[in-house]
Amino acid sequence: MALPGAAARWHGWVVTAGGSLATRLGSTWFGAGLSSHARERLAALAELREVDPGAVLLREGADTERFGVLLRGLLALRVAVAGRGTATLMTVEPGDIFGWSAAVPPYRATSTVVALETSEVLLLEAGALRGLLRDDEALALTLYPRLLESVSRRLTATRTQLLDLYARDREYEPW
Amino acid sequence: MVTAAGTAFLPRARLDALLDLLREGGRTVIGPTVRDGMVVLDKIATVADLPVGWRDVQAPGRYRLSDGHGDRVFDIVNGQMSWKQFIFPPRQKVGEMKRSAADGSVSFQPSAPDPSRLAFIGVRACELAALGIHDRVLAGGTFVDEDYRARRDAALVVAVQCTRSASGCFCTSMGTGPEVRSGHDLVLTELDDGFVVNAGSSAGERLLARLPGRLATPGEEASVSAAVAATRAAIGDPVATNGLRDRLMDQLDSPRWAQVADRCLACTNCTMVCPTCFCTSTSIGSDLDGTVNVTERVWDSCFNPGFAKVAGGDFRPRREDRYRQWLTHKFATWVDQFGTSGCVGCGRCVTWCPVGIDVREELAAIAPPALPVERPFIRPAAATPGRFEITTLRASHPETADTATLTLVPSEPALLAGLPGQFVMVDLPGFPAFPISVSRYATDHLLLTVRGAGPATAALLNTPIGGQIGLRGPLGTGWPVDRALGRDVVIVAGGIGLAPLRPVVDTLLAEQGRFGKILLAYGARTPADRLFTSELTAWAERGMEVLQIVDRSGPGWAGHVGVVTNLLDQRDLGSRPTIAFVCGPERMMQATTSVLRDAGVSRERLFVSLERHMQCGIGLCGHCQMGPFFVCRDGPVFALTELGDLFTREGI
Repeated sequence: MALPGAAARWHGWVVTAGGSLATRLGSTWFGAGLSSHARERLAALAELREVDPGAVLLREGADTERFGVLLRGLLALRVAVAGRGTATLMTVEPGDIFGWSAAVPPYRATSTVVALETSEVLLLEAGALRGLLRDDEALALTLYPRLLESVSRRLTATRTQLLDLYARDREYEPW
Repeated sequence: MVTAAGTAFLPRARLDALLDLLREGGRTVIGPTVRDGMVVLDKIATVADLPVGWRDVQAPGRYRLSDGHGDRVFDIVNGQMSWKQFIFPPRQKVGEMKRSAADGSVSFQPSAPDPSRLAFIGVRACELAALGIHDRVLAGGTFVDEDYRARRDAALVVAVQCTRSASGCFCTSMGTGPEVRSGHDLVLTELDDGFVVNAGSSAGERLLARLPGRLATPGEEASVSAAVAATRAAIGDPVATNGLRDRLMDQLDSPRWAQVADRCLACTNCTMVCPTCFCTSTSIGSDLDGTVNVTERVWDSCFNPGFAKVAGGDFRPRREDRYRQWLTHKFATWVDQFGTSGCVGCGRCVTWCPVGIDVREELAAIAPPALPVERPFIRPAAATPGRFEITTLRASHPETADTATLTLVPSEPALLAGLPGQFVMVDLPGFPAFPISVSRYATDHLLLTVRGAGPATAALLNTPIGGQIGLRGPLGTGWPVDRALGRDVVIVAGGIGLAPLRPVVDTLLAEQGRFGKILLAYGARTPADRLFTSELTAWAERGMEVLQIVDRSGPGWAGHVGVVTNLLDQRDLGSRPTIAFVCGPERMMQATTSVLRDAGVSRERLFVSLERHMQCGIGLCGHCQMGPFFVCRDGPVFALTELGDLFTREGI
């Protein structure tokens, strides 16, 4: 898998058998909602990587080259705004995914994904993911709803953030 | 003779006179009488037919009578027969179909109600309630059971207030007794030498006016109240009925149904002795040549094997299905159908169950009531508006751009004796009092963390050091930290909501060994809006897990960004006993409690602190009402089970 030219270090392969990768996938929030068939197929094609803080896993606007499940650590989803620099919109917690746009046209990343801590990720190359979704109906039947659920949770959370719940309410003035 | 309006006293020796009056106009008097070692309801010719001197001893699956207990007439409680025997008989002809032998033509003839005129004597409060329930079920809807209505209209009811109870009684819980309130023509209460008699209807008043005797003395009336109150006390409150309907319907999958079915014989005794069970079957009897067919309405029972059977199969094939049907109908769906519980608490199903299944026990096991939340009462230093205790502002420590923590020194030590989560009403000259949570109690001062949201809070924040501030409190309920003993504790705070939770952290850390793991998840607007930042680090160093997340990232922030529930989504909190305290905006508490429930924390161990408009702080002014609660007095800390579906409901 070709890796982006990140300044931070990408570790070599963490050698793991497919079977135990499927087990680890099953212990995540995302993986727990998949069929065992889907977990086995994904694990067979996935790589387990450890990345350092600062490693860039996806770039906003570029092709989504990979889809991943965060097993340990913390990732930031960032967007660049001209004149305002880069803002972290949210962080990805262990068990959650990044790179869902690898499955959805136009297959371009909606944010830049950066590791904030030493993180362990399960990576799947975008073409391989789409190939699986195209060729394996049983897998697609369980993976698509789960992807949609992940995106929906993120949408709901973003709306909650937009509500600005912790903003100061005006004091009630009885006069 | 006594006046119609009065309370009469009828000497026991003159009870025959009442029976004579009841028999006028050809009525038959029906009352309890001893036969074959049981008390049955049957014709009463003289007082001697009544169970004078008899008492019953009842227990689950057990009923014994003994005599020689003096000359009281109504010391027995309930026998196995109820009055439905007479107004809703076990077998009642409803019509006849005839086939003509000559031409084969068929004719139908419905039975016209022709009830005999009866007078019931000895009807208990629970029985009156049962009659009232049958009135709704059989005669209160679109279609009416004409035979029932005719029998009911033709009956006079002389009630007796219970001065003894049986072990199966729970009328007190069902709200039906032991006091007789309505549905009677006359009511007797037995004292040592006779009966205190009251009328409950115009027919009753006419009878009362003709009754021999005299007006009851105030002393006799007081004895009546005392005797019935003693019965109430003896029964206690064995069934927690608050929210029972919902609790029961939430438990359709309880494993207990199968367990009770292992004991249940499906003998139908409970439904036969129940004074409100009304299910019947239509039975057709034919003579041998088929010319006359008699249709009868016959008592049936949901425990009978064929009760829910259709050609294709049985909808309730298992005994557990039938027990569930009976119990949920009686205590839950009956409420939906008829606006009242189907149980009057007479206890017959307990006594007459051959294997002693006690419905009170089953209800408690299947649908246990929410644990009561213990509320220690802290006497406030100054409670009522107009009073306050003077405190002196010793220091003001800025927390964020608009929030500061004030150190207030009171002269009254009671202000320092509050619970975590309690609040004080702050009195400043020129402003209405407003509530602020105590964010720390110390030996000679307390801390209030205040956000400047308007003129009053701005004035508080602008008070010069050394200035005086009036406080009333501590008020309201606190976080039940004692319930956290031995449990993992999850504290979730949003924004300024961390302030009322800081005393919880103080208490937990002071006695850390007595609690399990402690997790604080704290959500703030931006990194700069976080309260108590240096303490957050210190708490983490003392062994608490402290997670922070912000809605909007900021310079130098490399931590979590997003909503506070993101920090909890992946956690398994159900495998160890866990309690959770949540404080923040209501929408945040809604999302958080939902995630915590999914993670395995039970609702009765999930506590939230509500914010409402408060003026008096002691439940008198009415501003903070929320459903049945005054949030200032009954809250602000509530268990989710207390709030039910009021929590986060719009416009409440």
